[in-house]
Amino acid sequence: MHRFTYLLFFVFSFVFQGFGQTFSISGYVKDSTTGETLIGAAIRLPNTSIGTVTNAYGYFSLALPNDTKQVLVSYVGYKNKIISLNANKNQQLNIAISPRNFEVNEVVINADRQDKNIRSTEMSRMELSGEKIKSMPVIFGESDVLKAITLLPGIKSGGEASTGFYVRGGGPDQNLILMDEAVVYNPSHLFGFLSVFNSDAVKNIEVIKGGMPANYGGRLSSILSVNMREGNNQEYKYSGGIGLISTRLSAEGPIEKGKSSFLVSTRRTYVDILAKPFLPDNIKGNSYYFYDMNLKMNFILSDKDRIFVSGYFGRDILDYQSEVNSSVNFNFGWGNSTGTLRWNHIFNPKLFVNTSVIFNRYELFNDFNFGVGGFKVRSNLQDWNLKSDFTWFAHPKHLVKFGFNYTFHTFQPGILSGNIGSTNISDAINKQYAHEGAIYISDEWQLNHRITLNYGLRAVAFNLVGPYKSEEFDNDTQLPTGNFIEYEPGESIAFYPRLEPRISGTFLINDVSSIKASFTQTYQFLHLATTSGAQFPLDLWVPSSKLVKPQLAYQYALGYFRNFKQNMYESSVELYYKPMYNQIEFKPGASLFFNQNLENEMIFGQGLSYGSEFFIRKKAGKLNGWIGYTWSRTTRQFDELNMGEPYFYRYDRTHDMSLLLSYQFNKKWSGSLVFVYGTGNATTLPDSRYAYRFGVDPNTAEPTFIFIDKYNKVNSFRLPAYHRMDLSATYIVKQTKKFESSWNFSIYNVYNRANPYFIYFLPDIKNNQVKAYMVYLFPIVPSVQWNFRF
Amino acid sequence: MSKIKHVALLSIAILAIVSCEKEIDINLPPSSEEIVVEASINQLTSTLNYVIISKTVDYFKPDLSLNSIRGAKVFITEGSILGKDTIFNISDRQPFIDLLDTIAPGVYVNPFFQGKAERPYLLEIDLADGRQIRGKTFIPKPLSIDSSSFWFEKVNKDTNAYFYMEWFDGPAQNNYRFAMLNAYDSIFTGWGIADRFYTFDDERINNQKRPFQMLNPFKYGDTVHIYMAEIGRQEYLFWDSFRNAANNGGPFSTPVAVKSNITGAIGSFTGYGITYKRFLLR
Repeated sequence: MHRFTYLLFFVFSFVFQGFGQTFSISGYVKDSTTGETLIGAAIRLPNTSIGTVTNAYGYFSLALPNDTKQVLVSYVGYKNKIISLNANKNQQLNIAISPRNFEVNEVVINADRQDKNIRSTEMSRMELSGEKIKSMPVIFGESDVLKAITLLPGIKSGGEASTGFYVRGGGPDQNLILMDEAVVYNPSHLFGFLSVFNSDAVKNIEVIKGGMPANYGGRLSSILSVNMREGNNQEYKYSGGIGLISTRLSAEGPIEKGKSSFLVSTRRTYVDILAKPFLPDNIKGNSYYFYDMNLKMNFILSDKDRIFVSGYFGRDILDYQSEVNSSVNFNFGWGNSTGTLRWNHIFNPKLFVNTSVIFNRYELFNDFNFGVGGFKVRSNLQDWNLKSDFTWFAHPKHLVKFGFNYTFHTFQPGILSGNIGSTNISDAINKQYAHEGAIYISDEWQLNHRITLNYGLRAVAFNLVGPYKSEEFDNDTQLPTGNFIEYEPGESIAFYPRLEPRISGTFLINDVSSIKASFTQTYQFLHLATTSGAQFPLDLWVPSSKLVKPQLAYQYALGYFRNFKQNMYESSVELYYKPMYNQIEFKPGASLFFNQNLENEMIFGQGLSYGSEFFIRKKAGKLNGWIGYTWSRTTRQFDELNMGEPYFYRYDRTHDMSLLLSYQFNKKWSGSLVFVYGTGNATTLPDSRYAYRFGVDPNTAEPTFIFIDKYNKVNSFRLPAYHRMDLSATYIVKQTKKFESSWNFSIYNVYNRANPYFIYFLPDIKNNQVKAYMVYLFPIVPSVQWNFRF
Repeated sequence: MSKIKHVALLSIAILAIVSCEKEIDINLPPSSEEIVVEASINQLTSTLNYVIISKTVDYFKPDLSLNSIRGAKVFITEGSILGKDTIFNISDRQPFIDLLDTIAPGVYVNPFFQGKAERPYLLEIDLADGRQIRGKTFIPKPLSIDSSSFWFEKVNKDTNAYFYMEWFDGPAQNNYRFAMLNAYDSIFTGWGIADRFYTFDDERINNQKRPFQMLNPFKYGDTVHIYMAEIGRQEYLFWDSFRNAANNGGPFSTPVAVKSNITGAIGSFTGYGITYKRFLLR
């Protein structure tokens, strides 16, 4: 490790050498019609390898030879633009490019020079635009970011009623999910059926599943960064949609034309209202809905300064009124709130900085009343985050990124208050506080026209601090012994400084193919306490402590990338090997809810994941889409489980395949097809049973008892394979500059595959045996949605 | 927690309009057999003093019987506590015999056994094949109900009946197991014939008045027999994990390992300090 650090500084000291006579251009690339900045737009010297792409804020800086007369700007879905350069001097350009319209001939997207996948050092990384996500077929017409990314190789879905996703063998808590840089701790609505991301407000998403650059950290497996749209700074626009279960409405427009804009996007489900008349009496008392709102404002203060304010507020509300006992009702809700204040500043054309102050809070509230009493349960997790990310276009062959990230976490696992009759009840799980900090530096070094290296180091530290009262529990009785340690405010309880070296490199074989390799070391200090395998609103995030060590993963990846037909087709093969340490599981039957001694329920082990991913994508043409296939193996090993033997992780999938095809039939009609196949989940089934809780019926003299399941091997049974096909079609009724109206028709699970949701068992008294039943959620489901924009 | 999970499932089901299910065949490898013991003693009634010995069976074996084990030698010994020591005299051993062989084989009883509150007990089982099972328990002092009441509420065509009880949860009252039977006759022939079970401890309400009310009402006219038992901590941990295992199911189910307070087998030896109460809900 120390050797690596010395090497890093040695390299940084000597790399910045001269680069002939150059000048630089810098600035933003934006959409000419809306003023939205474009992420990943390519700026390139035609017919050379000299070029760059805009960063996450739409900014670029590019050094050019003195004799350069023009550059080409391109972006998928937009017309290419040639920019003529007047003089060979440093200059700032704000480039506006026009989206291609929907005329059939122009829908053929020109993929010229879109070879970023070949040349960049980034691997195991994917981007999807909000528009692409909205065009995919989905159940009930509800397009969803988290459902969309599970169509990418190496990313597996947790199932139909789950937005949890699993990247290269990691758990759902090992993905860092960011919404405009704010961490989203629970990304699900409707118990995981939909995600919190309203696709109307999504500009683009980026998924990094390996080769994580040094500016990201905090989770072992992946980064999902969701960038929200900034709003149209040219004219007011309204859009929305009415679907089977929800309605969406967005408004955007200039605050000051060309200089500032806003976007407000809301949605609410109404399935509870629609379903109520059709429900049987015994569940009519249920009401379940969610709503959320995205707000974003963007101010261009000067050529050098931009301010962004963005926020999210969402709630899921479940009301229950007992039909048999009128005094029993409960109200259960949860949701995220985030706020981001971002400042982009250009010190000079070569030094760009983004500084953000971010607040995020996930909370859960549960009110329970039953006539003579009632309870209120509250829990939350709150972060304050300050970060600065510098991009230094130091040298034509060096792109340096550095910065810091500091977060103050507050964990309030649970507060309970209430009464039964005249007896008051109050209890609280002790609050916890933690500081998490990181500094990083990385350099993307183009050694020659074939080899580019990206090497960096991220230094991270986590400090769990007081005030905190640490109680001692008796292992035998699980009761407090009365002994405790009390920590003063700010006093360190557990401190973990760690180093995370990152390195990746590209060897360009020729203009259309390259080999890439990467090594990533990551630590994770926050852990999700869950036993159900899927994220659930009640699941708590717990910090690393004296007992709970930070999770650690190494990831080695190797890939071959090849483009065909002038970059119209992308293909890649990636191999990865990822050992994981200090992995956390819970003892079988552990009680996680309101448990002061939660750490006593934890067990610690290790994991291993390896596999290969194949991907072919057609980016342009009437017919476009991709096919991805993954072969992988993922295991876990805990001394206390499965007799210490490694076992398959629940979401281990030997084979996983996804196909997405989109076709533009004509001006009015377009369609998409999705097919997915995955080896069945590994699950633990009982291998035997026994009779217990004995009694003798006094009337019949027959013995009575129930059967209790007994488990042996962990995850040794495979559920049937998961596969389904979905179709969707979009019909544009009217499309003018002023008004757009379209219908989206989709059929989910076209051939009505019964995909397993869970298995349960029932004794069949008549046949003297136990029978197994498989429950599946969604048969063939047609849906329709109307979308508008004016 | 589990209630919320069930409502979650219900909500998903509403969303799906209808979820579907079908019977499937599952092939599991043979399991290794284990001995199971359910031993219950108390200070109140002889019908709740019994030791049941059975064994685990392969999950899909076409056999829904108790799978009891006959021919075991079963003894329960009352002991005494002297300071920090618990003493059991072999001369105090009382045999439990497979008396009900014809209707319930493997159920070992002793009609003359009388448990005493605040006394320790030793369970010794020697199986015919030589295997030995041992366990200890303690019958806690029964609780004393301070007040109770009941009332009615008309809901649609039914009249619901509720009752409410209070007792003092002092330092000696820690872990509870209640069972209720809605029946005309009060003979409690084994805990398994009860309709409802409640297992709880005093983690949240301690050293103060302890209220008890059910959420699920009875009906007007019902006769409810309530067996309220104080139990020891290890016995509570067993029955608490048993409750989790018995209610385990659905998409959020996880494998539950039932705890045990005996050696040589899975199961429990529970001493109950029982208080009995009857409500005539009319």
